[in-house]
Amino acid sequence: MRSLSFVRLLAKDFRELLASRAFWLLLVFVGLLVGHGFITAVALYAEMSGAGGPAALPQGLTSLDGVLVPTWGAYDLAATLLFPFVAIRMVSSEKESGALKLLLQLPGTLAAKLTAKALVLLFAWLIAWVPGIAAILLWRSYGGHVYAPETLNLLLGHLLRGLLSGALGVAAAALAESAASAAIITLAFTVGTWALDFVAAGRGGFVQQLASYTPTAALRSFEQGLLRLNAVVVIVLVSCAAFAFAAIWLNSGRAIVERLLRVLLLVVIAAGAVWGGANLRATRDVSENRRNSFSVVDEAALRRIDQPLKITVLLSPEDPRLTDFEQNVLRKLRRALNKVTVEYAAGSRTGLFEGADEHYGEIWYELGGQKIVERSTIEEVVLEQIYKLANVDAPERSDDDAFPGYPLAAQPKYAAAIFYLFWPVLVIVTWWLSRR
Amino acid sequence: MLLTVDGLTKTFGSRRVLSDVSFNVGTGEVLGLIGPNGAGKTTVLECLAGLLPTNAGTLTYRGRPLPLSRRKEALFYLPDTIVPWAQQTVKWALGFFQKLYARTPERIAELAGPLRLTEIQQSRVATLSKGERKRTLLALGLLTPHPLLLLDEPFDGLDLRQTRDVMTLLRAESATGRTLFVSIHQLNDAAKVCDRLVLLNAGQCVAEGTLAELKTQANLTDGGLEEIFLALT
Repeated sequence: MRSLSFVRLLAKDFRELLASRAFWLLLVFVGLLVGHGFITAVALYAEMSGAGGPAALPQGLTSLDGVLVPTWGAYDLAATLLFPFVAIRMVSSEKESGALKLLLQLPGTLAAKLTAKALVLLFAWLIAWVPGIAAILLWRSYGGHVYAPETLNLLLGHLLRGLLSGALGVAAAALAESAASAAIITLAFTVGTWALDFVAAGRGGFVQQLASYTPTAALRSFEQGLLRLNAVVVIVLVSCAAFAFAAIWLNSGRAIVERLLRVLLLVVIAAGAVWGGANLRATRDVSENRRNSFSVVDEAALRRIDQPLKITVLLSPEDPRLTDFEQNVLRKLRRALNKVTVEYAAGSRTGLFEGADEHYGEIWYELGGQKIVERSTIEEVVLEQIYKLANVDAPERSDDDAFPGYPLAAQPKYAAAIFYLFWPVLVIVTWWLSRR
Repeated sequence: MLLTVDGLTKTFGSRRVLSDVSFNVGTGEVLGLIGPNGAGKTTVLECLAGLLPTNAGTLTYRGRPLPLSRRKEALFYLPDTIVPWAQQTVKWALGFFQKLYARTPERIAELAGPLRLTEIQQSRVATLSKGERKRTLLALGLLTPHPLLLLDEPFDGLDLRQTRDVMTLLRAESATGRTLFVSIHQLNDAAKVCDRLVLLNAGQCVAEGTLAELKTQANLTDGGLEEIFLALT
């Protein structure tokens, strides 16, 4: 009986989804955005592969960076600016119309009712993926290379991104009196995470760790072919906490103080769980070109180092050398070594006025009581210094297994017709049929 | 007694809207909650349904305390002026409740006649007139199987003929053993359909009983509910 009630609620929410204009608008716009991203990316990829002239950068070209990430970037935009409105409507329409008063009395717990909404939102997000999947299939049909593990990892990132957006939308709608107020709350949260991203760059410590779980930052690691267990766990936990918050707050029969106490308890439990999840260090480099890892021989050599390594960086957050160092060295070192601490010691944000400081630009490495200074941010040079400090022989590297890249000078045939014409027409016809 | 309400008190901020409200609901009766606008009738119903928190008061259902978590097993509250699932059709809304509460499809047919729903089954809830919406909501309420049904202003928006039909339907529902607790601001309607009445004024329960008992309480030998109401408030 209970499961039957749940199925009825699920069917009700599904019908409400189909009645939501926000959902159909999401479908139309996401198709256009994916189409634009895909057509631009394929054309650019062809240029870089040497179409119409000498090859500029054919070596090391990957479909992930060149086509899939820019194409699926449309979903980041959709998850930020479109999908939350679908989620908000799922709750706000029932609040504003008074249907919530009936819903609260229907069989089943509020948690079950919100689970039904979560499942329907997940379905909506997956339906919105149709243009993105079509883009991948089109790319394959042009002869483009697709490496399954990194592609699936990218899709996982966007699945989690959608889940988080939906959950935050539902929580905002539960809290706010109207859909407009809920939209403002969601937008404020998004802008807040952008600000956190900006402030935390190159700062190190807790703020930087916190910023690595903002939707944009978490998605970035999936886009780079890195599967981070802590990112997966934290996003799932935060999403569940947002739905739990909605379940507590929508229970209008409980006094505000009681609801606040329950929310406080939820925050404490969720914070503890998130803290535990954030400390899960397991990662997997699923990129085909191992961009998140050192070479196999270097990783084997680094595994022999069991002492903690401390790195002090005198580069300001907006110095491009720090960005290079983060992307090409620190990210890999954190995965390869068990104990790495990084201290960011620059005094200013831009580094423009650090000229007077003669130490600006230095990077200090400290291991086993010994210190060494180096200014280079090149991977090979840094590793050499670490091996020297650790008294480990530098391994012999070979270029035999270097990533060849997959250049392809293809034109985005049929893409414009599919994304700009066929998809919008299909969505509009389906919407019209669903209204009958 | 099916339900005993004792000392129900509710404040919104510093404003006390219900003050120590107590009354009984007998099994199978149609109990009317009457009072002027702003007396607190809807607040009473929403507090009983567990949709609003109370500051004080207890509910006893069939001799046992009725906690918030078990309210929806015992009673169902049908609010006034709501437009639930506005984009769905009346047919879908009725089917949703019928299937959710495992009622037979014939039950919808039984209600569709007196509530004149046949012609509007394919209409969307958002497009219904006030009266059509009220009849649809009544059908939803009557599709629920709860022993106690709370109805907020069931005749509001209905014309004379429709009001009479709905009264007949409610009396028939009551005759099956179901208890109805109905908030009504039209005193003439209340006098026609209710077995007993609870008179609420400024958040306080000023009288409770049958029409004859209320007359006695008001020291009246003649007159109807309007005179009783004016005498007691």
